[in-house]
Amino acid sequence: MSAHHSNSIQHLYEGDQSKLYSGVMQHHTDVNSDESKAQVKKIWKIFWILLVITVSEVIVGMFYSHNLNPAIKAFFFLGLTLLKAGYIVAVFMHLGDEFKGFIVTVLIPLVLFVWFIIAFLADGGFWLRMNESSPARHTIEHVAK
Amino acid sequence: MSQTTVVTAAKEPSLWAGGRSPYNVSYGKMMTWFFLLSDALTFGAFLISYGTTRFFSAVWPDANQVFKSFPFAGEHNLPLLFVSLMTFILIMSSVTMVLAVHAGHYGDKKNVAKWLQWTIVGGICFLSCQAWEWTHLHAECGGLWGAFTDVNTPVDQFRHFFSEKSLPYVDAHPLVAMQSAHGFFNYFFTITGFHGGHVTSGVIFNILILVNTVNGVYERRGHYEMVEKVGLYWHFVDLVWVFVFTCFYLL
Repeated sequence: MSAHHSNSIQHLYEGDQSKLYSGVMQHHTDVNSDESKAQVKKIWKIFWILLVITVSEVIVGMFYSHNLNPAIKAFFFLGLTLLKAGYIVAVFMHLGDEFKGFIVTVLIPLVLFVWFIIAFLADGGFWLRMNESSPARHTIEHVAK
Repeated sequence: MSQTTVVTAAKEPSLWAGGRSPYNVSYGKMMTWFFLLSDALTFGAFLISYGTTRFFSAVWPDANQVFKSFPFAGEHNLPLLFVSLMTFILIMSSVTMVLAVHAGHYGDKKNVAKWLQWTIVGGICFLSCQAWEWTHLHAECGGLWGAFTDVNTPVDQFRHFFSEKSLPYVDAHPLVAMQSAHGFFNYFFTITGFHGGHVTSGVIFNILILVNTVNGVYERRGHYEMVEKVGLYWHFVDLVWVFVFTCFYLL
């Protein structure tokens, strides 16, 4: 008879999987330990970083968005957005504490977005140029008037 | 023969040699990640489709003009202020969620319950803000989806969504501008609606695990992994908002 049959249902359900917790999440007992306090401190540090980034984004968005070169503006905002996303995923979602193989497995499919963004935005720009140079559009506007 | 075995055993066995999870994560947590991955592709497709329409359009509504209202502030011009408040609420609720997960790692039932409660409060505050914003824009557009489709719509009804710089174009080509306003609001309601749906289900999940925590379900089980899994979902919702915020309000 296998050992499994002696286990309770609840143990089979999730109990045995608790052994699979990633390394950092095991063997903790004291919530007031130095290690625990350091982790909480790190969480609040990330909070302040996210807040400062967001406030600077809003300030630039409010006061400088019309004076900036659109490409510089886009890279500024997208760079800060990716930075914020990185902090959330790595620290708040604890992906940074997982095994490297798992991190890579989760992140690789997202590389698709590189192609996705380039292809579709280029397509949008192409259609705009076609539309702008098309005599048909002006005819439609004329008819509507 | 036996010596060879000893040497082999002394070496660190490969992660992929079998007998253990090479990722060192449980099935449930791994599948939560893979679900979030597919959800990220869905949201990505929405936002890229928004970007394509925007690149397709000669003029586009200006966020500083569309989102300049604040509850009870009347006609004051307060661009982006309200959405900044919403962003702050969501980041804050992400912090309280990660504190609940942290307490769960230490089996600290009382603090798990405390931080989950704050997370639920944050989620409800965010949803209330969104309800106000939708109501406000509903009045501005005379509807939610499908506004600005009638070619006889007077230009005054959508002119104020555009920046000073693009007004000459709007006046010269009102139909093109109307089409942009139509696209902008359709995407806005679709994407923030889909995100709001995620926040709503996240709040429901949080309430469920709060009830389980208080009833001692996870204490008896010996770990708070369910709080971690719901936490992953909640952080993902915050993550999506970071991108929605950039695409709709900043760029």
